[in-house]
Amino acid sequence: MRRGAGIGLWALTVVAGLALYAFLPHFVSDFHSRELASAGVFFIAIVGLNLVTGYTGQISLGHGALMAIGAYTTAALVVHEHWRDVWTIPLAGLAAGIVGFVIGLPALRLSGLYLALATFAFAVALPSLLRKFSGLTGGSEGLRFLESAPEQVTGLSGTVTVLGHTTTQNHFLYYLTWGIGIVGFGIAWLIVRGGLGRVFRSVRDSEIAASSVGVNLASAKTLAFALSGVYAGVAGSLLAIQKEIVSPLTFTFLLSITLLVGAVVGGLGSLPGMVVGAFFVQYLPDVSTRVSSAQGVPDFVYGAAIIAVMLTLPTGVGGLLRRLAKPLTTRLYTRP
Amino acid sequence: MGRKIYLSAAVFGALTLAAVATGAGTPGVTSTQIVIGGTTPLSGPASAYQSVAKGADAYFKYVNAHGGVNKRKIKYIYLDDGYDPSRTVDQTRELVQQDKVFAIFNSLGTEQNLATRPYLNAAKVPQLFVASGATTWGRDYKQYPWTIGYQPNYRAEGTIYGRYVAKTSPKSRIGVLYQNDDYGKDLLKGLKIGLGKKQKLIVSSQNYDVTDADVQSQVARLKAARVNALMLFATPKFAIQSYVYAKRLAWKPKVYVNAVSSAANIMGLATVGTNKKQTEGSLSVVFLKDPTDSHWAKDPGMKLYRSIMKRYKAGNPNDVYAVYGMSAAHTFVEALKKAGKNPTRESIMRAANHLNIHNDPFVLPGVAVQTGANDHFPLDQAKLERYHNGHWVTFGGLFRVR
Repeated sequence: MRRGAGIGLWALTVVAGLALYAFLPHFVSDFHSRELASAGVFFIAIVGLNLVTGYTGQISLGHGALMAIGAYTTAALVVHEHWRDVWTIPLAGLAAGIVGFVIGLPALRLSGLYLALATFAFAVALPSLLRKFSGLTGGSEGLRFLESAPEQVTGLSGTVTVLGHTTTQNHFLYYLTWGIGIVGFGIAWLIVRGGLGRVFRSVRDSEIAASSVGVNLASAKTLAFALSGVYAGVAGSLLAIQKEIVSPLTFTFLLSITLLVGAVVGGLGSLPGMVVGAFFVQYLPDVSTRVSSAQGVPDFVYGAAIIAVMLTLPTGVGGLLRRLAKPLTTRLYTRP
Repeated sequence: MGRKIYLSAAVFGALTLAAVATGAGTPGVTSTQIVIGGTTPLSGPASAYQSVAKGADAYFKYVNAHGGVNKRKIKYIYLDDGYDPSRTVDQTRELVQQDKVFAIFNSLGTEQNLATRPYLNAAKVPQLFVASGATTWGRDYKQYPWTIGYQPNYRAEGTIYGRYVAKTSPKSRIGVLYQNDDYGKDLLKGLKIGLGKKQKLIVSSQNYDVTDADVQSQVARLKAARVNALMLFATPKFAIQSYVYAKRLAWKPKVYVNAVSSAANIMGLATVGTNKKQTEGSLSVVFLKDPTDSHWAKDPGMKLYRSIMKRYKAGNPNDVYAVYGMSAAHTFVEALKKAGKNPTRESIMRAANHLNIHNDPFVLPGVAVQTGANDHFPLDQAKLERYHNGHWVTFGGLFRVR
């Protein structure tokens, strides 16, 4: 009986979420659905980061660089090979997944802050590498789809027709990004509550205990990095598709920090909180310049807002959700 | 060919959409108001450049207080892009699609404007007086007729330094520190053009990325190459660092510092970080009136500038970037006057490409803001200046460079 109520509540949440996804663009202006699509990019990347940092306990300051791998894979395929932009998404995810696997290798020997520094080095070095190989990446100018391959851009004419339905380009980007985001969220949820999720969490909570019960630390850590690399790569690819450009200035180490801020605000080790984390990092810069555009003030407001959230919600939004839902869930799940 | 057809179809699509969205008439223009917009870094590492937008905004407020242009007030919306081109794309689309601006004006940065140029040209939205000195804005007019730059271009500036060194000290050992992007490379290219046959004088060129923390090792390498004429083709932070590190190495080359970093307040910081001897004798080019130069204390243009900055609380009046922004705004206002009683996007572009302004109060006397059928560089004159006793002193005549 109680179990039935739990499933009912769960199903209600899913239906409400899907309905929100389907109808949200009808309540906001066309341009705002483009902003929502940008938030979706953060959402996908943060869900991926949460797998490796929140669930496996490996701090990564290099996820901005993994997004860059995805974005540049898409851009290079569109501009040099004239692929249609949306078809490059799987390959971008794959490429970043492989790179994620590789940067996961130091995680076998390094832990905690040392691993954070190693991934940070990757994030700092990547923009310089992108400038260095300018034949492929366009150097400091980056690559611009509309100049080099306009016919590969979906929705160039302002509208997109999918299966007989015509929508504006901004709506299309929204549905594409959040559609992928919801699927990615579902997969992450299945991983987290399955056996693999338990393996990840055991690595996070105690490596010694995990290995003594037979968990292969090496494969668990590299797998977590590879999986989360796929998310970052897909997010990067969508970013490139939305902006129709890639530039090294987008993928500075600040992006990696921004993603981590989103994941921490959302609540490490909580998936639903990631939605809030994504909106937080998407809209905070605009809000902070609206407070005052006097020199230095936006950066100050940005920092102060993060500190304020951390003071009031030390476990992030996810922690708050858990606390709010606790009376309900304990009653639902605790058996006498 | 196929691409071209597709593009024109796209342009047509965008146009019909725009027409449907705004109804009849020109977007952003009503009988009482003209809305324009641009992007600028209000936050992040390049936020010092925001004075450009603030100076421009103050000038528009001053014009509005005096009746506007053809009884229309100018509303200038500037949004923060944090110097990230992907955010420039978003903010520019917001200005065009959400705020329905008449034109994009004075957006800052080379990569940032390159990122939005294809979109703005496809949608036929004017991209006016781009705040970047890359050569492409004026050079690629045919391909991008909806875009026009403003300031003297970087290549021309480099050419002036090259010619000056070749003429006055042909035995120099030149070292170059340049930012590893279009801006830095344009200056370096210009320097080589100016040196002509004397290109061998360049004994070392070092670059840095704008995201780097410092240029300590580059400065050490330049010193090791026994450089005695140092070209600083660098943004303010790195230019100041170069002075500081050179002093730490007890090295005092003759410094040529690019106009982007030669604002008096930047040089003041470099002097505070080192000493008077280290910055003494540095050379640069100038096309604006420097607000800290006592020479202009009684100049009517500078008096106007100071009163506007004070009246509209636009920030530090000693910031030459604000003068730049005001000059760009002055040019926009003049172009708007020439664009007819009921300006359209076409007519403002025509006006911007047929400028002949000799009364800009914010640029050096004699400097004209001119464009024409074969000239799409509004500002292309500059003077050399030497840093002496904590101030810039101009010398020689006006160079016309292109």
